[in-house]
Amino acid sequence: MLQVEHLRCGYGGEPVIKDLSFSVAPGDRLCVLGPNGCGKTTLLRAVSGLLPAQGKVTVCGEALSKLSRKKSAQKIALMSQMSSVYFSYTVYETVMLGRYAHMRQGLLAGEREEDRKLVLESLRRTGTLELKDKLITELSGGQLQRVFLARTFAQDPQIILLDEPTNHLDLKYQLQLVEDLKDWARQGERCVVGVLHDINLALAFANQILLLDEGRAVAFGKAEEFDLSLISQIYHVDVEQYMRSSFQRWEHASSPQAKL
Amino acid sequence: MAFLALLALGAVVLGIGVGSVFIPPADTCRIILNRLFGVSLPESIDPVYPGLVTEMRMPRVFMAFLTGAAMSLGGTVMQSVLKNPLASPYGLGISAGAGLGAALVIVTGISGGILGAFLLPAVSLLFAVVTVVLVIGISARLDRGMSNTTIILIGMVLSLFLNALMSMLATSSPEHAQRINLWQLGSFSMKEWRQVQILLPVVLLCLAVFLFCAREMDVMTFGEEQAEALGVNLKVLKWVLTGTVAVLTGSAVAFVGIIGFVDLIAPHVVRKFFGSSHRRILPASALFGGTFMVLCDLAARTLVPPKEIPIGAITALLGAPFFLYLYFAGRRRR
Repeated sequence: MLQVEHLRCGYGGEPVIKDLSFSVAPGDRLCVLGPNGCGKTTLLRAVSGLLPAQGKVTVCGEALSKLSRKKSAQKIALMSQMSSVYFSYTVYETVMLGRYAHMRQGLLAGEREEDRKLVLESLRRTGTLELKDKLITELSGGQLQRVFLARTFAQDPQIILLDEPTNHLDLKYQLQLVEDLKDWARQGERCVVGVLHDINLALAFANQILLLDEGRAVAFGKAEEFDLSLISQIYHVDVEQYMRSSFQRWEHASSPQAKL
Repeated sequence: MAFLALLALGAVVLGIGVGSVFIPPADTCRIILNRLFGVSLPESIDPVYPGLVTEMRMPRVFMAFLTGAAMSLGGTVMQSVLKNPLASPYGLGISAGAGLGAALVIVTGISGGILGAFLLPAVSLLFAVVTVVLVIGISARLDRGMSNTTIILIGMVLSLFLNALMSMLATSSPEHAQRINLWQLGSFSMKEWRQVQILLPVVLLCLAVFLFCAREMDVMTFGEEQAEALGVNLKVLKWVLTGTVAVLTGSAVAFVGIIGFVDLIAPHVVRKFFGSSHRRILPASALFGGTFMVLCDLAARTLVPPKEIPIGAITALLGAPFFLYLYFAGRRRR
């Protein structure tokens, strides 16, 4: 569904991504892990066609470089890290903009029934339906994040790329987002590629993991076969020790003595 | 929107009626209807009025309205294209280019040839458009992505450069300096129907282009990366929109000189009342800008008769406090 072969790209000077290859099959949820500056965001930008890159990216059997902006936006959606909003659109209008790539252009070409249906469904999916008529300039960071997520769903692509989508979200919405994305990928032939920082969330979300370091793949494969000790190596922290100590605190909190 | 249209109509009637000779609004309406649709005139109307209205006041007020509409449309579009609430067509070098063109014609004193009195507007429009093409062209050269900051920066640098050239021209021939200066301040006096006949189709055509791209502009206000990810071909769109803005505001400036401020404040005022969707704010800002300009022109010629205050001074004089009020009133509510 998504194939990346020998990808190499950057912003002038030394490339950020150096010879990276991987592929994602329909129904897959790939999580990209790696320390700050390893090229995760750059990778997503290159795969969505926003950043010129060497190598080959194939989306649903077609070369990305051959697709027009509109055509590629019909197949692949990118939700970037949140930017600030200056202009006061309503939530509904904002999510409707996700339909842009599917709409005809022109003075009279308006939104169709299917556009409205999909927008409402996306609002419902992200729990923002009741915010429909609010202005986006009045929303909290978490609400805005969910609205942008709804817009990404409304874009109705085959592949969703997410750059730290759980920023600004509270625990409930983080878990809900993970479940939503899994559902979304399962329905139909679709897949999600996400950059997530929380290891626990990443494991709950992904069935595939790509671990990056300095623009190269350190590991790529099924999530259940993933060697967690690699994470400690790459990040230079003892993840296991960290997890254990936080788990012990949970155990202690729920033990009978603690409750007395 | 209907309210805004009514307001615009009211301002136009008022603008035509009020002046050195006051014509009652009812009579003004009758004369306008008579001239446009051939409705017969009652005999009670002073026979001097029709000529005064159709030959002097109407072209002037229409030019003011069209200029206001053009400038605020240009401002609205530039703010969305550059995703910057402070952007304006002048930031692209339109005023500097047009100013240099006009100064050249004034200083060299070349005659119009077949263009006649239209030589000066034609040259300044040409200079304005060339300046914008240069700004965008240089930006595209320096930065393949044509990012907004690059465009704003190049626009500023080129504007300053052209302004310096114009100042040098003006100082090198002091006998023309005053005319250059007056032209820069802008004025609606001595406007004729011929100018309205040119500016009206330009404004309507550009408005149509903008409305055609309304949804794209909505997407663009969310930032360049998001717009591209949603499927907008940014580069093409930036060329089309800035080019159209150049022609639109360049034509207005060419006829009436550099009139600032509407382009900056109109979009903000309109967004306050109509939200941000371009399908609504484009027509609304044209109406608001036109109305505002007609009223400013009215003030310019009636406040200290028989003298006329430069229109550019009035727009800023009325506009600045009005804008501050709106801005801070909005802030306090938050």
